[in-house]
Amino acid sequence: MGRLGVVAAGVEARRQLADPGLALAFVGGAAALGLFVLYPTVRVLLYPTLHDYLTIPHSVRWIQAARNSLVSTVLSTSTAVLVGLAFAFATSRPDVPGRRFFRTVALLPLFAPPFMVAFSYILLFGRQGLVTRHLLGLDVNIFGLHGLWLVQTVAFFPLAMLVIAGVLESVSPSLEHAARNLGADEWQVARTVTLALARPGIAGAALVVAISVLADFGNAVVIAGGWPLLATEAWFRLEGMADLRGASLVVAMLVVPTTGLFLLERYWVGRRRYTTITGRGGRLERPPTYPPLKWAAFCVCALTSVLVLLVYLGVVAGAFTAVWGRDWSLTLDHWHLASDRVGSLWASLRVAAGAGLVTAVAGILLAFLTSRAVPLRRALDFLAVLPGALPGVFVGVGFVLAFNRPPLELVGTPWILVLALAFWHLPLGYQAAVAQLQQIDRSIEEAASNLGARGLHLLRDVYLPLLTRAFVEGFTVSFVRAVTNVSIAVFLVSPGNVVATFAILNMIGNGIWGGAAALTTMLLLVTFAALAVARLAAGRALRPVPVG
Amino acid sequence: MRRWWIVLLLGLVMAAAPAGAQARRIVVYSALPDLETSLINREFTRRTGIPVEALSVAAAGTLAARIRAERDRPRADIFVGGSADFHAPLAREGLLLPYRSPVAREARVSPAFLDRDGYWHGWYLGILSIIVNTERWDREMAPRRVPKPATWDDLLRPEFRGQFIMPSPVTTGAGYIFVAGQIFRLGEDRAWAYLRELNRNAAQYTPTAPGTITLLERGEAVVAMMWAHEAIGARRLRFQPLEVIVPPDTAFEIGAVSILRGGPNPEGARAYVDFLLTRTPQDINARYGFRYPVRADVEAPAGAPPFESVKFVRYDREWAIANAERVRERWTREIGR
Repeated sequence: MGRLGVVAAGVEARRQLADPGLALAFVGGAAALGLFVLYPTVRVLLYPTLHDYLTIPHSVRWIQAARNSLVSTVLSTSTAVLVGLAFAFATSRPDVPGRRFFRTVALLPLFAPPFMVAFSYILLFGRQGLVTRHLLGLDVNIFGLHGLWLVQTVAFFPLAMLVIAGVLESVSPSLEHAARNLGADEWQVARTVTLALARPGIAGAALVVAISVLADFGNAVVIAGGWPLLATEAWFRLEGMADLRGASLVVAMLVVPTTGLFLLERYWVGRRRYTTITGRGGRLERPPTYPPLKWAAFCVCALTSVLVLLVYLGVVAGAFTAVWGRDWSLTLDHWHLASDRVGSLWASLRVAAGAGLVTAVAGILLAFLTSRAVPLRRALDFLAVLPGALPGVFVGVGFVLAFNRPPLELVGTPWILVLALAFWHLPLGYQAAVAQLQQIDRSIEEAASNLGARGLHLLRDVYLPLLTRAFVEGFTVSFVRAVTNVSIAVFLVSPGNVVATFAILNMIGNGIWGGAAALTTMLLLVTFAALAVARLAAGRALRPVPVG
Repeated sequence: MRRWWIVLLLGLVMAAAPAGAQARRIVVYSALPDLETSLINREFTRRTGIPVEALSVAAAGTLAARIRAERDRPRADIFVGGSADFHAPLAREGLLLPYRSPVAREARVSPAFLDRDGYWHGWYLGILSIIVNTERWDREMAPRRVPKPATWDDLLRPEFRGQFIMPSPVTTGAGYIFVAGQIFRLGEDRAWAYLRELNRNAAQYTPTAPGTITLLERGEAVVAMMWAHEAIGARRLRFQPLEVIVPPDTAFEIGAVSILRGGPNPEGARAYVDFLLTRTPQDINARYGFRYPVRADVEAPAGAPPFESVKFVRYDREWAIANAERVRERWTREIGR
């Protein structure tokens, strides 16, 4: 191997780029990543001086924040992935009761601006909580680690579910039948077939969730109390102290653990092949689910669903309640207040649609590129996942620093918000596409290749039809996260295009809870309507593609 | 695969293109709430004919960071609201344009509220106070015959253990001005002893200033240290059960306005500063924001004690701004929260 291997890889890379379409895609993908991921990142990281970096170990608060971030990430990621797995399992089994309901409920937290989840829980489970105090008569302090753990689990398990479900649903039932025929008991089937095949999904999910938790500021800022965390510390540096340098230092500290997570995921997932969509087709009925497993999943999903629905109950109740938490009489006053800001809803939708589209297309294109032996494959792969490691404030500041001057002067236009959100969410679209690509048997491509398909034709004719699910999921996740985003919007919103979450955050900041709840409810309604249209339009594309 | 819906989405994105810039308009970054900002701007446009595009964020630090990030090509003309503590460092970094408004002289605004070099004009004032959630007080403290806190030292009472909140001195202007105020009141060593003792009562230090009011409204604490105007607003506009007590030796903030160097419309910006120093905007700010005007001929906000009756500590603003980093570092080391 060694030298010979390197030479062989070089030859292969040159062979790949000989195709003009693929070469063009490569140049485009690399340029986009370089411009919208690498450049803003470098701009922020080089903002502090070396001397600034050397002061990090001397700051008690930052060390504390780093430790706290680690603890909350381990806790929240574990529970979020477990719950996400339960949901993905339940929704991929036709015989689990309420699976459609669970799938819908699981998507709900993605529509809530994160601070809304946390706020609703303070209202329901805090010292004056509707549930804790008025129903149960308890005196509970929800602020701190346990509150954050609960809120982040509820807020981030949908991400885990989306990634795992994409993989679980494409596991062919024939493998389970085969295992059973070979004498495996139900537990063995679940462990050695279903779970084993879901491993790229679970690993991908853990990666995405862990990074989201690390970078999560919306929940932490509301519910972590006096508990310093890296993501919020970066925000406070800016919010309270206008200290760009300190903020870029703190987020630089965040990049270390996220890089670690990235390498771990590669190593763990990369060890086995997970081909289950084969050219030899065959659709079998799913065998009945092992009852203890079925009911365990059902219970987890049911309990979580109650927690999710409570968030929404709080928000909708708040939109119609005269004085939140004090005077519970019904009113429509808040809706008048919110209707002044209807323009912000449209701004949100336009921005999010653009971001979703860019994320999905770029995600698939890059996943396809990195599945080939193109040059700089590892670098491209790293850059495609990197944005998920960056907190929103970091990306926001990076884009301002990078695109405030000619030749690419984007600050003040909606485009900068679209691009920042699209590339910040790129890992979601990319991971979904990668997980899906790993499921596709090379023999299909070889068949097409033998029939004369080359380069981009392979992507278009062979992979795209199979990747429609990845596209829809990449678009959906990016869209909804863009709609609910605040941390980036705070920096890139300009006086002419204020998005809805930004308006809501302002209202919350000013204590106008009712108006904020009403505007959030409006945002949810409009978002659901927009998604329904997208789903309807993509409905045909979502139908099973005949294989082989 | 259908293509039309992709076309539809593209269309949506295209529709996001920015509206054409209006002539002569000014762009305002406002740290005041939406309501006051839009009322004041509407009045400005009516008077001068200059349209205003405003971005209102309830956090001065965020806006200041934004101004720093845009230093190569400033987008805004005006930075309004927030303590002068946020404007002064921007002036030091050369991001502000000096101006001396003739209106300040005509209205005889005290020079104490204006920057010596003309980089910022103070146009409203806010005072720090003790705030009590009366609902929880009546239920839990009154039966035990605990007297209401009247001085900063009363906050140390053991009954308030775990029931006191205030904005974090590390991340907010309100928290920092409080700590600096204690240093001016007690001298540095005794002030830190006081803060360590107060820390035993503190349930948490909220990362943002409005967070303190929100938690107190929710009854997550009984006593707080916070801007009086925020609490008065919560009580009068949102009917929250809050009582404001202004202790002796309190400190105040100077709410400032400044002109950004290199902004698109400096002429309009100067007109805006002149306008803020007239009666109407100060009246709007007193009426809806419950902040004190700097003009003697504007009525003080309803429900607030007369500014002259408040006993202030001798607050050395220049020392406070110059030592901010060191004091915050010491807070982190000694209090560690």
